[in-house]
Amino acid sequence: MASPFPRAERWRNRLLILLALVVFFLALGLPFAMAVLWSLVDPSHPWAYPNVLPPVLSFRRWVEIWTTSGLQQALVNSYMVATTVAVSAILLALPTAYAFGRLEFRGKAVAQMLTLLPLAMPLFVLAMFYVAVLSRLGIYSRFLGIAIGHTFYFLPYAIRLLTVSFSGVRQDLIDAARDLGASRLTVFRHAYLPVLKPGLLAALIIVFILSIEEFAISYLVGAPDFTTVPTILFSYLGYNFIRPSAAAVSLILVVPNVLLMLIAERLLKSTGASAGSGKG
Amino acid sequence: MATEAPALTVAEASLRYDRFQALNAVSFSARRGELVTLLGPSGCGKTTLLRAIAGFIPLDSGRIEIDGRDMAGLSPERRDTAMCFQSYALFPHLTVADNIGFGLRQKRLSSAEIADRVSAVAAQVRLSAQLERLPAQLSGGQQQRVALARAMAVRPGVMLFDEPLSNLDAKLRDQVRAEIRALQRAQGFTAVYVTHDQAEALAMSDLVVVMRAGVVEQMGTPEDIYRRPANRFVADFIGTANILAGRVMDTDKANGLYRVETPMGMATVRAEAPPVASHVYLCWRPEDARILSSTEGEVAAENVYRLQVRSRTYLGNLVDLEVGRIDGEGETWRIQTHGTSAVMQGETVAIEIAPERFRFLSEAVT
Repeated sequence: MASPFPRAERWRNRLLILLALVVFFLALGLPFAMAVLWSLVDPSHPWAYPNVLPPVLSFRRWVEIWTTSGLQQALVNSYMVATTVAVSAILLALPTAYAFGRLEFRGKAVAQMLTLLPLAMPLFVLAMFYVAVLSRLGIYSRFLGIAIGHTFYFLPYAIRLLTVSFSGVRQDLIDAARDLGASRLTVFRHAYLPVLKPGLLAALIIVFILSIEEFAISYLVGAPDFTTVPTILFSYLGYNFIRPSAAAVSLILVVPNVLLMLIAERLLKSTGASAGSGKG
Repeated sequence: MATEAPALTVAEASLRYDRFQALNAVSFSARRGELVTLLGPSGCGKTTLLRAIAGFIPLDSGRIEIDGRDMAGLSPERRDTAMCFQSYALFPHLTVADNIGFGLRQKRLSSAEIADRVSAVAAQVRLSAQLERLPAQLSGGQQQRVALARAMAVRPGVMLFDEPLSNLDAKLRDQVRAEIRALQRAQGFTAVYVTHDQAEALAMSDLVVVMRAGVVEQMGTPEDIYRRPANRFVADFIGTANILAGRVMDTDKANGLYRVETPMGMATVRAEAPPVASHVYLCWRPEDARILSSTEGEVAAENVYRLQVRSRTYLGNLVDLEVGRIDGEGETWRIQTHGTSAVMQGETVAIEIAPERFRFLSEAVT
């Protein structure tokens, strides 16, 4: 037999895979499909019991949301904030990640733990106090307030990802480049950059996604005059609850993020590959 | 004084890490075109010294000169050295040609000259057909040659080799070793070669520097080191040695002959220089013993010992015998003889060791 597993074990594995697929479908596939369906419900033909599927499908909800709500502005806001946050979080994370990934110093383990600490705090609690701090500091720009908050809160992710990248940089390549007379810039280009590049892009994308999806800070700092996509979404779930509209907005929020996440995943995999191709 | 300054001089190099003396007043020099090996067990400081020559590690005290120029305070990029790394350290995203040309590009040579030199060096290491490949597409031996070519291309004052063969399998290692030596002779570059493999050191070097715990134990040609080891460490580290604690009983200085009492029996030793003490270590090599035929063995001649074969290991071309005293007591010694030898375990053999085959070590028994 070619299979390394005995018969009983093979059946057990198949069963487990099947179970995983079912759970995956129930947890992710089904809600996603429902969101798609709900967003396509025609406003004049409501989807109600006993219809298993919506009676009439149309894009009218989409058109309506796009033209009448503040979604367009919210999208602009969200993407502006996320771009700012991603770039500044990466820039701020670089020195720390370099230290964690390339240097040995006393208290390194403690420092590494401390940088992860913000992640252990509930975002809403943090956001509440953060708003108070902002007004004390006299920062009244909503955009700036949200961007600073996101940068601070998502910095640990960037540090974490880039630390791994930096530790994948091979010392022997740095040495070889220097030994052959390379300038600092050349050393960076040939020893650091090839390993860092995928990690940098992945960190950018992940922080970008986290910022776009973040609600607590965006809401507490921004509402009511600075809307982001999640705050719009929340408005549809609250007082005037319109499920089809909420479904459409959530798709607008999620679909680009899923695509970006897939790209980040590929990039992170390639980091591992290039770091591993050491000796022949 | 020599008319020409040595290509490389290391003088009294010392370096201490915390509580660990990595280098302790190490001195040696290499003439132009010489290959010097730093040989020793791991932790002896040989790699540290190599990295200090390259400029990666500053010395606490001592001097390193290349072509008579003091290297103190010069960073690796400004030293006229090129290193072949143990891991090869090839840039994985660059082609073979770009790897080989890397150092030349840093020197800002014209692209035409870079191309010329890259193709010339590639031809020397037989990589002309692989120039457009990436390192990952090459075999281990080929990667090794790229590393060598990359270092050779910049024509450094001193080439530095950090155990370059340790990632190759045994057969390839012998082949690449011969290639490096042949290239080194042909190109005439000066090289410092770090290894823990004594066979490598003996085969390649003009000068062997044997190190232990940051100290030079002995320095000399491969023949010197092998035939005239200074102490028990060198004797034992280079090849296989039988080391005896001897007591000098009688001296005939005019003929350089000494009668020495050893655990094997009385030995007559011929030596150019007298022993350093009356209680002194001496050694002989497994191939120094000649097994006598039964008729020869009957003659009670000088330096003939009757010993019992404790174990026999067949090595193909050789037979390795572990022998000891007939009463079964005491230490054992190693003898190597032809693969055709029919001597069996448990047998008693008579061996003869010529007086000049015994060597006094410069180490007194304490």
